[in-house]
Amino acid sequence: MPLKNTITGRAWVLGDNVNTDDLHPPSFFSMDSKRMKEGIVAGMKNLNASEEEEIDTQGLIIVAGDNFGCGSSRETSVRALIASGVQGVIARSFARIFYRSLVNLALLPLVCRTIQAVVQPGDTLTLFPQEQKIRIGNDRFFDTDPMDLHFHRILESGGLIGYLRREMSVESKEHGRGI
Amino acid sequence: MSKGYTGEIIRQHADGRQEGNYIAVHVDRVLVHDPALALLIKDFEKLGTPIWDPGRVLLTVDHFAPPSTVERANLVRQVLEFSKQAGLTHTQVYQGICHQLFVEGTGVVPGGLVVGSDSHTTTAGALGCLATGMASTDILYTLVTGNTWLCPPDAVRVNLSGKMPDSVMGKDIILYLLGRSGEGGYLGNALEFYDHSAHIGMDDRLAICNMVVEGGAKNGLFYPDEITAAYLKNRDGAVETGVWDTLSVPKYKKEETIDISFLEPQIALPHSPANGVPVKDAVGEKVNQVFIGSCTGGRFRDLEMAAQILKGRRVHDTVRLMASPASQKIYRQAIEKGYIQILVDAGAVILNPSCGPCGGIDKGILAAGDVCLSTSNRNFKGRLGDPAARTFLCSPLTAAAGAVQGVITDPRDFL
Repeated sequence: MPLKNTITGRAWVLGDNVNTDDLHPPSFFSMDSKRMKEGIVAGMKNLNASEEEEIDTQGLIIVAGDNFGCGSSRETSVRALIASGVQGVIARSFARIFYRSLVNLALLPLVCRTIQAVVQPGDTLTLFPQEQKIRIGNDRFFDTDPMDLHFHRILESGGLIGYLRREMSVESKEHGRGI
Repeated sequence: MSKGYTGEIIRQHADGRQEGNYIAVHVDRVLVHDPALALLIKDFEKLGTPIWDPGRVLLTVDHFAPPSTVERANLVRQVLEFSKQAGLTHTQVYQGICHQLFVEGTGVVPGGLVVGSDSHTTTAGALGCLATGMASTDILYTLVTGNTWLCPPDAVRVNLSGKMPDSVMGKDIILYLLGRSGEGGYLGNALEFYDHSAHIGMDDRLAICNMVVEGGAKNGLFYPDEITAAYLKNRDGAVETGVWDTLSVPKYKKEETIDISFLEPQIALPHSPANGVPVKDAVGEKVNQVFIGSCTGGRFRDLEMAAQILKGRRVHDTVRLMASPASQKIYRQAIEKGYIQILVDAGAVILNPSCGPCGGIDKGILAAGDVCLSTSNRNFKGRLGDPAARTFLCSPLTAAAGAVQGVITDPRDFL
């Protein structure tokens, strides 16, 4: 499964060192996707949305600063972003466990160091993962850092479980030949 | 090459496959806890594959320990059913916090490579191994294959020298280091500590390695020495010595030195573990809850130091003090030494070993406006309860001094 050609969404802009407790408060740990999604709304209110604001998480693309997703490894923070319809995550740098979780669950992470200076909340963003570009609106382009081949392969497999299935099928074929 | 001892450990565990900058490695031990495993049970059912080596897996029920809601009770039930079906042989229910149980049992040894489903898995690096945290799906991959993929990190060597003052603990050392580096100051790095003359005890080393992740580090380890050997001898009986001597001399990206003899007690201001300042700069702030416990600050020496201050004293009448040993083993030792009696006499509530109060899961959730002194590892906004509560991180000495006075207090006033 190749990476999507383009992904479009609205910018949700965050600062530096946003941790997973900020993003998805621990009290929302749950296997229930409704409860999980409520956690993202609570996180948005904690971070930068007003109490009264009507929040629509569908189609958001996060633009964060440095060290995004630091803190707890709870995978529910990424699962909740996916359940809430978030389409992609851009940051100047990522905390390592959070980055791995985004890749493992196939929510596209992109490292970009320049967009933070100009992006405004709600801007329409288009991600071009193959070309390593991000576009704001119709004409402002930003470069993203190349993704490591290992993570690229996991994303192409639809996530780490897909990658594992692929490895297992190769192994069983090889094993079959041996017999 | 600037990959340190960590790079050597990765090289020794490599299975020959590489993709980009990532190397596939064999894993010696895996740690997984209740909430992380609960997320994986359906995936395991769909995959229908066995666990690669059930004897190398430590499963702990420590987050929902015991569970406080019906949903969590059901998750614990599912986790225990999974453990039985998968044939896991090291499943510990309510026996302590995973990071403590991981180093209490055999199997985590110098030169080893271990992963766990929790960011604080870095704790085990105190024994001189590569220990790093992963999220659930990465752990599933390891549970099925016995492998994981790692990028050898740039290593930073931290030399610790000078005699440790009586008022300073491992927690003060790591808060100082994090305050200096900032949150994410060691992003993706290995932090390798060399204890030249400080003779830092194992409980303090575990607290230091526990919190390297707050600086963004991939792992933290103490270069094995006679303190490591003594710990292992006590734990395992016989010790294989010289494991680490066979490795080539590591090279580093950067070297830092801390003379601990000059260090003062430290405290991290809300809402970041990297907001460390000397306690003397924060004295006088009123506190109404104090927590002594967690995988950072609930070990034997932590309870011993807290008891030293609380002996014959009473907790201030505006403060609620909660103490929680990091494991049942520590709990028993602290009872035998009389520390639990001292804490109870001082007015502390003793909680069972669990992750509850540190992760905002249960027991001791903070209300808006509450101010908490905690020996745990994170004071992020909203982690311990209402986002309008404030948490300061400190050593058990500083926590106990604050509990007595009702305000942030320099523990040197009591020593």
